Amino acid sequence: MTTTWRLMTLFLRAYVRDRTALFFTFFLPFLFMVIFGTLNFGGVARATVGLVDLAKNAESARFTETLRTIDTFRIRELDREDALRELERSELDIAIILPADLRIAPARTGAAVPTIEVYENTSSQSAPIGAAILRDVVDRLSFAVSGTSPVVSIARKEVAGVRLRYVDFLVPGILGMNVMQLNVFSVAFGLVALKQTGALRRILATPIDPRAIVASSGLMRLLVSTIQVAIPLVVAFLMFQVRLVGNVFALFAVAIVGALPFLMLGFALAGWGSTEDQVQPVAQLITLPQFFVSGVFFSRELAPDLIKPITNYLPLTFLIDGLREVAVQGASLWDVRMQIVGLLAWTVVGFLLAVRLLRLRTT
Amino acid sequence: MGAMVSVRDLRKSYGASEALRGISFEIMEGEIFGLLGPNGAGKTTTVEILEGLRRADAGTVVVAGVDVARDPKGVKERIGVQLQVSAFPQHMTAREVVELFATCYDRRVDPAALLAMVDLADRAAQLNEKLSGGQRQRLSIATALVNAPTVLFLDEPTTGLDPQARRNLWDLVRRIRGGGTTVLLTTHYMDEAEVLCDRVAIMDAGRILELDTPRALIGHLLARGFAKPVIQQQANLEDVFLDLTGHELREDR
Repeated sequence: MTTTWRLMTLFLRAYVRDRTALFFTFFLPFLFMVIFGTLNFGGVARATVGLVDLAKNAESARFTETLRTIDTFRIRELDREDALRELERSELDIAIILPADLRIAPARTGAAVPTIEVYENTSSQSAPIGAAILRDVVDRLSFAVSGTSPVVSIARKEVAGVRLRYVDFLVPGILGMNVMQLNVFSVAFGLVALKQTGALRRILATPIDPRAIVASSGLMRLLVSTIQVAIPLVVAFLMFQVRLVGNVFALFAVAIVGALPFLMLGFALAGWGSTEDQVQPVAQLITLPQFFVSGVFFSRELAPDLIKPITNYLPLTFLIDGLREVAVQGASLWDVRMQIVGLLAWTVVGFLLAVRLLRLRTT
Repeated sequence: MGAMVSVRDLRKSYGASEALRGISFEIMEGEIFGLLGPNGAGKTTTVEILEGLRRADAGTVVVAGVDVARDPKGVKERIGVQLQVSAFPQHMTAREVVELFATCYDRRVDPAALLAMVDLADRAAQLNEKLSGGQRQRLSIATALVNAPTVLFLDEPTTGLDPQARRNLWDLVRRIRGGGTTVLLTTHYMDEAEVLCDRVAIMDAGRILELDTPRALIGHLLARGFAKPVIQQQANLEDVFLDLTGHELREDR
């Protein structure tokens, strides 16, 4: 253990002297945040709608179908409680509640028409658009059915969701991306460089247990990962007044667990490749697609339906979802247990790969 | 004086090519032993098996009383190693490199004293990748000494060095032997073997062709009736070079 610790401090000192590595570790994420935070790419006109169907009849089904044809809407059917809770967390822009007595037919004279409740998230820019579209849908339906008088009424209510700006959304994405990149690339490149120059061979001519080398460089990266999460976070607080809703320690815990699968993949890559030129494209192949589909810069809700089911299970998705739920929605570690389990599962996969590929003993 | 290294009928193949076709030799305690041969003779393969870095196909190797095949770790604890390529992790100072290797042997050493021993006291804070070739070879020897080894293996320690740096390294090797360490070195410089080694083994194509003291080997050759065209020359070009440029190390480049 003391050997591992002493090796780690030596590796860390060497790492801190590596200006290029430091740039990619600390400055690049900062740059990303400034660029994307300032440009504010978040204003995508799309409303996520929570639909609560209390009627469960043919007419509510038809109404739901109509809403589904509207491009702007992304419909998720939920029960009332979930819908309101997600609305508060700003996971939804509006919630539409179809009443149990929903009928789409001309109103009998004197009788009240069924009332659709619409809850709007006051901090969502898409909510008013969503509500307006819904009103339009109801008007057309009424016109089609009765010619003039409305067949349903709409009751608008407001829910103050967590005020979620784009930068609030962006920060956990950047942190996650950062943790992925550092661990896959720097671990793989660091070890391959040792292999390629012959330095590793020289170290293995000593009686040291090769596992101590792996453990110390792994520990070193975890430590760097922690700092790497801390720095952009501080910048985010100071420059963009990002509000961290969740617990800081929970956030770091998720980041560190999230570093593990990428660390293992980095070790596996270093074991597989013998030159940096071999490792580079494969490392890109692993990280780049996740970069785009795991919700670093944009919500995964926008991903094409064809690949969406796959994106649910990517390690970066687990990491970013976990970080985002803690940072933005104040989730506890227990709330993000599925993400943690997912990350640990990937860690096991990576570990098995690394054990198979990383042969430090030479014969 | 007993045998510090004893090698019996060592064999190693890489696929179809036989790198070692059964070699045997012994190195006595306190000896500087040279393994000579052209490139591809099998010198490095032999040394790496002795160091526990490669596994032999057949044969036995006992180094400092330890069987390498049975206890490679035990051998590694007792020996010092300089590989043909002297490479260390980047961004580490000379001092940190020494500390790194001390850690690998689970020892505490005085890096300054070790660096002073190889004339690198004033380079302690310099990054290892910024050192000159000769300095890096000497740093490499310092790392090989952190565990106070009983046997030191040097694989082509002077390849690529200028004449001054070579002579400086020879002095260092003699000093190390003076401290009681047995030394095995490989080289393809005959002058180096002649001035430095107590005994040499000449290898080619995976076999040892002859093994004796340099003087005896020359004697054998002359006894076979060999005669060189004699040219009365009291000096060679290297003597001229050293006379003009001096013996001092040039490493402030």
